[in-house]
Amino acid sequence: MEEAAKKGRVTPLASLFPVEEAQKAVRRVHETLSEKESELDRFRGFISDNTNLINLVQKLPEGLHHNIMVPFGKAAFFPGRLIHTNEFLVLLGEGYHVERTSKQTVEILKRRGKALQSQVESLKATMQDLKAEASFFGITASEAAEGLVEIREDYVEENFTERESQSGPPKEHPPSFSEADKVKVAVEDEEYSCMVSRLDELEKAEYEAGYGNETHEDIENVAVSDEEYARMMSRLDELEKEELEAEFVNERDEDNAKLAVNDEKYAHMIARLDEIEKEPETECGNERDEDEKIKADFDQSSDQISLDKINRFSEEYQSRKLLEQTKDKKSATEETLDKRDTQKDLTDRLNCTGLTVQSRPKEEMSHGKGLVHGIMKSTPLEKALVLPEVKENVQAASSLRSEAPLQDSKPGFDSRKAFTGSIIERAHNMQTSSSQQAATSSQSTVTQPSKPVSRFKMQRR
Amino acid sequence: MASPAALRELQRDLETKANDLSRIQKDIAKNHQVRKKYTIQLGENELVLKELDLLNEDANVYKLIGPVLVKQDLAEANANVRKRIEYMSAELKRLDTTLQDLEEKQNSKRDSILKLQQRIQSLQAGKSKA
Repeated sequence: MEEAAKKGRVTPLASLFPVEEAQKAVRRVHETLSEKESELDRFRGFISDNTNLINLVQKLPEGLHHNIMVPFGKAAFFPGRLIHTNEFLVLLGEGYHVERTSKQTVEILKRRGKALQSQVESLKATMQDLKAEASFFGITASEAAEGLVEIREDYVEENFTERESQSGPPKEHPPSFSEADKVKVAVEDEEYSCMVSRLDELEKAEYEAGYGNETHEDIENVAVSDEEYARMMSRLDELEKEELEAEFVNERDEDNAKLAVNDEKYAHMIARLDEIEKEPETECGNERDEDEKIKADFDQSSDQISLDKINRFSEEYQSRKLLEQTKDKKSATEETLDKRDTQKDLTDRLNCTGLTVQSRPKEEMSHGKGLVHGIMKSTPLEKALVLPEVKENVQAASSLRSEAPLQDSKPGFDSRKAFTGSIIERAHNMQTSSSQQAATSSQSTVTQPSKPVSRFKMQRR
Repeated sequence: MASPAALRELQRDLETKANDLSRIQKDIAKNHQVRKKYTIQLGENELVLKELDLLNEDANVYKLIGPVLVKQDLAEANANVRKRIEYMSAELKRLDTTLQDLEEKQNSKRDSILKLQQRIQSLQAGKSKA
């Protein structure tokens, strides 16, 4: 019997159930079956005899006497008369006879008949069991004769073990399912990680392709176009939606990792925010308003202004990300932001975002980064972009996605709307978080995650 | 060496043990038969008892003793049948215990024989190697 490689065990059925033995078992069962059948026939004979006797006993009392041929010895008869036609000596058993009338005899006989029937029934049941046994043995014998093989393999985490094939009949038994499942799981994990990294790379490439320069330092050199802005806005919308769908905790976990990096950038962003805070504040306590303003400015602004706005947006995005993801680190910042007007907070966020964006043009694969790039590169206000970026990984994907919608949607108006919606939602979801966080999160919620990757990532986290 | 002598001794032991085992198996078979007989008789007697209970007081009961059919009292017949039933159940119980003992003995004999066989095989293997 061949042994499977390493961990498998190939056991031909023939070894477990030797062919000859299986066939012998089959024969044995058949013999027992035939014995039982003969017993059954005997019982049937008894029953028929019993019925005949009942008929006779019932018929005899019809006449006072009957003329019969009486048997005399082995081979002789003599004519005689049968009298006392209603008196019967019934053998009960153990040598005991009892005198009974015809009717009483018939009753006795009927009871005997019932007992016989029950015996027959039990015998039939036994025969059924024997038949089943015989069929099983027969099947096993035939399988063993064919050389069927039972293959058992240990449950292995990594790869499938090679199964050695038996020379001759093909194997029919599949490997243990547990091993297959284990391998699948391992493969799935690997695939997942591969896919994630690939997605990140793709996003990065997309950002780069879409927005030219990748470094934040190139913001000033990037030409902002309405198209790009639209793209980015749509992207932001997607990211916001993604963010909404994803768990905050998940995002936060990832964001925390990035937060460390973001902190440094955040400081930069704050500084920039101060610089950018020259933007006129339309309404207080409304990020949306500020966005609108920013957008309005953007529409009319020159590259310089747009650049500032981009920075602001990126900052805001970054800040949003930071805010949403890291309570601890952001709390201080958030608190400070909270103290300011909403507009100011927005600008701060924008600045932070912008700073963050600038500082890390292509951090990891986070959507935010890509988005930041997009923001930096494009002049349009990327509140949408910022929002998704805040969500980080999830956001990154959404940012990519939002870029596309950005192109389609009206830049200023859409972002404004998105911004508004997100703010409101966030406020509900994150009551504990700072208002800014709520604002940012609400913003992010608006974005619709369009990239399956992001969702995938989000789920992962 | 003494290995051939030991081997012969072991083989003789094996023979005696095999004889014992066959005797025990015969005993077990006899036991089975007797048990079967008793079981059948017991069943029959129970049937008779049932029928006798169904009889009226004035019914004539006859007992066949050899070629003679002897009239018997119904009560007497009932008593006899009941006694027979009790006796037979006791016999069956006794037979059951005997059967169990015999089976145990048989198993132990089988084990000892197996061990003997293994020893013989190892000795033979050692002898063949040497």
